[in-house]
Amino acid sequence: MAVRSMFSFSRPSFPGVMLGLGYFFLYAPMLVLIAYSFNENKRVNVWSGFSTKWYGELLANDAMMAAVAMSLKLALATATLAVVFGTLAALMLTRLRRFPGRTLFGGMVTAPLVMPEVITGLSLLLLFVALADTIGWPANRGFVTIWIAHVTFCMAYATVVISARLREMDTSLEEAAMDLGANRIQTFFAITLPIIAPALVAGWLLAFTLSLDDLVIASFVAGPDSTTLPMIVFSSVRLGLSPEVNALATILIVTVTAVSLVGFWFMDRNDRKRQREMQAALAHPD
Amino acid sequence: MDDYVSIQGLTKRFDDVVAVHDVSLNIRQGEIFALLGSSGCGKSTLLRCLAGFEVPSDGRVLLDGEPLASSEPHERPVNMMFQSYALFPHMTVESNVAFGLKQDRLPKAELRERVDAMLELVQLTELRRRKPHQLSGGQQQRVALARSLVKRPKLLLLDEPMGALDRKLRSRMQFEVAAIIERLGVTCMMVTHDQDEAMTMADRIAIMDAGRIVQIGTPDEIYEQPNCRFSAEFIGSVNLFDGTVADDERDHVTITTDDLESSLYVGHGITGYEGMAVAFALRPEKLFIARENPGRLHNQAHGRVEEIGYLGSHSVYHVRLDRGKLIQVITLNNERWAADRLRWGDAVWVHWDDEAGVVLTS
Amino acid sequence: MNLLRRWLPDRRWGVIAPPFLWLSLFFVIPFALVFKISLSEMAIAQPPYVPLLEYLDGVLNVRLNFGNYTWLFDDPLYADAYLSSLGIAAWSTVICLAIGYPMAYAISKMRGSLQNLCLLLVVLPSWTSLLIRVYAWMGILKNDGIINNVLLAVGLIAEPLRLLNTTGAVYVGIVYAYLPFMVLPLYANLTRMDPRLLEAAADLGARPLTRFLRITLPLSVGGVIAGSMLVFIPAVGEFVVPELLGGNEATMIGKVLWGEFFANRDWPVASAVATLMLLVLILPILLFHRYQSRELEVAR
Repeated sequence: MAVRSMFSFSRPSFPGVMLGLGYFFLYAPMLVLIAYSFNENKRVNVWSGFSTKWYGELLANDAMMAAVAMSLKLALATATLAVVFGTLAALMLTRLRRFPGRTLFGGMVTAPLVMPEVITGLSLLLLFVALADTIGWPANRGFVTIWIAHVTFCMAYATVVISARLREMDTSLEEAAMDLGANRIQTFFAITLPIIAPALVAGWLLAFTLSLDDLVIASFVAGPDSTTLPMIVFSSVRLGLSPEVNALATILIVTVTAVSLVGFWFMDRNDRKRQREMQAALAHPD
Repeated sequence: MDDYVSIQGLTKRFDDVVAVHDVSLNIRQGEIFALLGSSGCGKSTLLRCLAGFEVPSDGRVLLDGEPLASSEPHERPVNMMFQSYALFPHMTVESNVAFGLKQDRLPKAELRERVDAMLELVQLTELRRRKPHQLSGGQQQRVALARSLVKRPKLLLLDEPMGALDRKLRSRMQFEVAAIIERLGVTCMMVTHDQDEAMTMADRIAIMDAGRIVQIGTPDEIYEQPNCRFSAEFIGSVNLFDGTVADDERDHVTITTDDLESSLYVGHGITGYEGMAVAFALRPEKLFIARENPGRLHNQAHGRVEEIGYLGSHSVYHVRLDRGKLIQVITLNNERWAADRLRWGDAVWVHWDDEAGVVLTS
Repeated sequence: MNLLRRWLPDRRWGVIAPPFLWLSLFFVIPFALVFKISLSEMAIAQPPYVPLLEYLDGVLNVRLNFGNYTWLFDDPLYADAYLSSLGIAAWSTVICLAIGYPMAYAISKMRGSLQNLCLLLVVLPSWTSLLIRVYAWMGILKNDGIINNVLLAVGLIAEPLRLLNTTGAVYVGIVYAYLPFMVLPLYANLTRMDPRLLEAAADLGARPLTRFLRITLPLSVGGVIAGSMLVFIPAVGEFVVPELLGGNEATMIGKVLWGEFFANRDWPVASAVATLMLLVLILPILLFHRYQSRELEVAR
């Protein structure tokens, strides 16, 4: 009912109209981008016919493909470590009431969420330079330094996602496992981990996309030989529109959308099934 | 064994708040013992101390002669049924029940046998492959019970066992759960705020208030022989008369009170003295109500019916005595259509026997 | 004994230590370094600054150089950049709030699957690349971009409007990039609100607008703060949007810092710029932290 009145043309509500406009604002630019990626003309904004030739050019662009490989590797490694640290940090914040430095730690977890990227990037570069100066490591900046930088800001996001799940989880589940003879570590792996698994996946995906997207921080801490995908895209679009970037953007947008929608469909189906089963259980009492 | 579980001087402080204050009590082997109190009285904290989720600030607990206080929850021979049941949502009924035994690394065959037997006992064999969300409330409760019993704990803890059930199912499950526990002979401590639940299920009850034990006794002792005003008022309804001891003999006592014209006569002696301030507690169902003057020397009063609550099996009358005190009287409705039923505003006499009430000295 | 146990290292340190040490090393200490280097002098060297502490003939020399800061205060370019950054970030936050609040409100009133789907559609753009989404606007706002093409074709204008490389374009880009971060906390807040509160208010005679102003809005203040800070703070230091959409017209401080670092290779001045930016942002960050820690931690 509420839904219908929101979308019906007879009586559109103000929030409903704003929502529609908001979606238009968010998606129209991306749709334009996708449309132009199939433009045959080298001048992006002048339509001269349908073509997929820019996808071919993109795949033939070795520098671009190398950057794609580098960024994917980086995002994989970043997301994995960020989820491990994020889980530990989320456990601390939700399960330990007091420990020395709790307030400071809370600040360290939330600050990276909002910290302007130029500051994070500059400060990490200065750290790496100082470390190289004093202990000789890292001798060269590259994959590892970008990875460390990305883990640092991505783990904050992973922590937020995971602790939200941990906070709403019934702590008596963990107590029940311990009561039945499992120690803390066994309890974590047998009970907590399976229950928060969806949040771990969500946190991992979020960290993956953040790492894949980052331009500013990587630019600061990268060495001369390490170029990530955003860096190469940036240097290209700085000079103006590029049909290859349009093709790349389309691939990215379509992939993210497809993965999200499939994930949504899958979870929604599970939810509905669960609802039905719960109702069935209540309908036939004992 | 009378002191199979022995709690000695247990105290639990949270920062400045004393949740459990110097509690000592013993639980017999095979007994169902209930901690009864309103929310925030410290009963759950006491239970969590026994399970090992809270570390007592002071005092100790002996279980079958062994001190319990220092060991971790997973090392204790104590199992708990949680108020929310805490069934593992990602495991089947069977895996939930088997979880505790798996932690003990039991041989496969024995594990299977014990799980089967336990599922049989709680009549869940058919539903063993279901997940918790596919079960009704009562079925979930039986899984939780089976899971906490399958390890054969020396002490079973029940936290508000019926708290998550609706009223109708509750009264049935009270008997069922108690029957299963008694069949296995497990010693059990339960925590509840529901007096019906405590009285139905428990062999003995401890009433708790503000972190302290107020009274310990069997359900009928607690009901018929409350040791203080708090117990008397906490369990059931009661009419209390404040007065002073006028005559303190070995075999009887008389009490004068401003609420009654005649004095109160109690048919047994008390440990007190003349002039002592006491309260006299009288349960509503111990009173008789009539239109005619019963003609007693003591233990009667005249008044007027102010309210009538018809509850099917019995009726509750609120009677305003001539001196202004409002009392409750309960009568059984043992005739279907009584011809001479009392009405609002009727003048009545209430009276009671010499042994009907209890003198409270605190 | 309890006190001892509380402070001595125990098994919990297995959980505490790794993230704690990581963040201390890679998040907290670097800020100290930024501050330190903001006090040193630029040099043509590798790294391009003069060390603060130096042993010369067995004497420890400490050279503090506040020149970078006086430089920042003397040159109006920096002050302008700070002010325009704060202004652009603040107005972008207001615009995001004006668009995002009704969106979050509409989604929070939906049910079940539709609600989740609509929320997903808001968040989804932020999972694709920011760089690419800002780039999309370049194509739209250019002189031969889609907007100008349409307006020319319709005949509303005779020659292309200058849309790209304006402050307006920067606003569009920032609002576009950060809108999801405004909607998300607002939605989380609004969806938790008990609908019976509004029913009770209606029952007591409050009209829809009154219900919104007196019940919904005050109860959603936490979400408004969180969303606003999530937009405002990073927007102040934003680099990609002003670089790609602002041209020379909008100088934002993030762009200045980038220029000092990469073009001028003046690390000390870049550090001073960062230190001052952090100083300006410390209050908003604390405000955000206060809200966020309530969200993160144990329900008490």
